[in-house]
Formats: sequence, C-alpha cells, structure tokens
Amino acid sequence: MRGRVRVAALFAGLILVPIPARAHHSFAMFDTTKRVTLAGTVTAFEWTNPHAYIELDVPDEKGTVTHWSIELGSPSILMQGGWKFKDLKYGDKVTAIVSPLKSGQLGALLSTITMPDGRVLGNGPLPPGGRQ
Amino acid sequence: MQAFRPAVSRLAAVSWLVLLLAASAHAQATPPNITGVWAPYRGGRGADPALAPPPATPLVLKPEYAVPFETRRKTEAEAAARGEPIASGAVACVPYGVPRMMSVALYPIEILPTPGQITIIAEAFSEARRIYLDKPQLAIDDVPPGYYGHSVGRWDGGTLVVDTVGIKTSVPAYQNMPHSDRMRITERLRLVSADILHDQITIDDPVVLEKPVTYTLAYRRMPGYEMVEFVCDNNREFIDEKGGTHLKVRDR
Repeated sequence: MRGRVRVAALFAGLILVPIPARAHHSFAMFDTTKRVTLAGTVTAFEWTNPHAYIELDVPDEKGTVTHWSIELGSPSILMQGGWKFKDLKYGDKVTAIVSPLKSGQLGALLSTITMPDGRVLGNGPLPPGGRQ
Repeated sequence: MQAFRPAVSRLAAVSWLVLLLAASAHAQATPPNITGVWAPYRGGRGADPALAPPPATPLVLKPEYAVPFETRRKTEAEAAARGEPIASGAVACVPYGVPRMMSVALYPIEILPTPGQITIIAEAFSEARRIYLDKPQLAIDDVPPGYYGHSVGRWDGGTLVVDTVGIKTSVPAYQNMPHSDRMRITERLRLVSADILHDQITIDDPVVLEKPVTYTLAYRRMPGYEMVEFVCDNNREFIDEKGGTHLKVRDR
C-alpha cells in the first residue's frame, strides 16, 4: 500500500486468510497474513479465466479515490462458492476484505466481500457446513 | 416318476449354477461405470478416511538430479517470500499435461468412455487426453514428445490400467520433478466405493529416479455437474526477466 492510500486496514499478522486453491499461479505475490478492508464502487466485474477480477474505486475520508484491481478465483471455483456471473455490475457498492500485493501496488487477492444485497461471499468453494 | 423328480431337481440346480456363473463372468467382463464428472476428493472434514488416497511413496531422485532439484526448490521458496514467485508454465496459461492435469486444484475432470477409447477432459485449461483401449503401446522413440504423450489402456477386472509414454521433458511431472524422455507413467483407476474413484499413478524414469514413485489421486462423482469452460483470455499475470510472477494492476 502506498502511504497516501487511506483504507481501513487490519494488519493481523499470521492470520491465515482463506485463499482459493492454487491452479494458475502461486499466491505468494499477495501478503496473505494481511487483511485490508476496501469499501468502494465497482467499475468493472470481469467473469474471466484464469481469474475473475473486480475493479474498485475506493474513496478515502477526504474523497480522494484510489483504484484497486482485486483478483478472484476462476469462474468454476467461484461458482462452487455460490457466485454467479451477474452478481456485480458497474456502480455497485461493496466492501471487500483483501490481501494486498507485497509489491505495494494497488492489487489484491479477495478474501471475502459483502455484496450490495448484503450477502457475504468468499473466494472459493463453500466451507464444509455452509456459507461463509 | 419318483426317480424323475430328483433328476429334474438336479437339472434345475445345475441350470441355476450355470446362470450364476454366466452372470458372474458377465459382471467381470463389464467394466465399472466411471463415466461422468469427478471432483477431487482430498479427505479432511466430513470425508471418509477409508476412501481418502493413501500416502505417496518417497520421491527419490538420482544424486545428479536431486541436487539441482533441491537448489531450485530453495530458490523458489526465497522468491515466494519476496512476493515474486517463480513462474510455472501455468502462469503463461500453458497447460499441465499428463499426469498433472489429473489434479489441478479443485477443478473436476470428466471421463468419457466410447468404443475403443476413453477420453478425459480436465476443466482447468480445458485439457483433453485420450486413452486407446486394448492396443499395444508404441515404442517411446516413436511417440512425438508432447503434453499428453501416447496412452493405451485395458480393463483388468474392475481396474483400468493405463500406460503413458512420450511426455516432453519440459512438461513438469509429479511435484515438478524433472524427468527424461524415458519416463513411463502407469495409472490404475478403480472405484473404491460406488462414487469414489482412485487413480494410482506410478512414475518410472530409470534416468532420473532411483526408484519409481507412486501416488494416488481420489475423486468423488459429481452427478449432474456441467463442466465450466476455461479459456485463458484475461491473463493479467506476467513474468519478469528473472522468471518472477507479477500481477498487472489497472489505474482505472
């Protein structure tokens, strides 16, 4: 994260964030010991392979907007977790908990997201026993 | 008449025996139904430990391969810690090939038997392999090296035994182990319960391995599941000059 970016950040060292099973690449690009909360507006939702993406505008308390690219699993893996390809659209308000890139660039791996309708979805199959 | 009745009984008994034997022979000759979609079954919470795959045998490389293999693993671990994991072929959307396509993360496979052939499609990267039944295997040197090589199979009772040769040496095998063009892969697929399938995979490579390595994949049947397409047309990962993996982020 860059210094000018103000987001509600929870740096919870050594907490393991649920991440999708590795298929396309290692997740070592992301700092999965960190969780950052990004509340913002969706500018794009790409239901694509090898990964789906949420592009998110995140305003700080002064109204300055930063833009994040959030990586998800693939459509197949997401569908196993209850996602649908029309679940998000331009302009939707969401709150995402993510693991940021170690490089400091404004990219991240999704952990969980609160959808416009209040549902909370993860980034992989449902855990045994039900919805995340 | 009295003498006739025992004869009839004996005849009936023999007829039943013949029918039972015929039914038994038919049952042995009919391969089990493994058609359809199968998802990885890795045990864990809620899983039946009796159906989980047994542990793998040790991977023992010859010393001249073991040293660079371990060095590479150390380099990979260091790169991952830096946040620049060394890219595998998958980062560039290159498929996995045999045998790794049989187990990619949580993606299912679809087994499609047709007369004389069994085709297996992996959902990840939409890979396909073809197993030709009851045909002799080709000599390794007659198979153009590739991702899927040449596979032949036969039913041994309830077990589908598959032999594969001709995997290109640049295609990583089990645990990314190196291998030579002499590698031979033997798979034994069998139902361990009505809806759990095991694929026991043995890799033999007299050039690279001290001894063959055997590991087992387990799958659960997914009735009604429709395979999802996987075309790698939005790959935002890129590989730097040192082989590290990075994510392209967008400004807007």
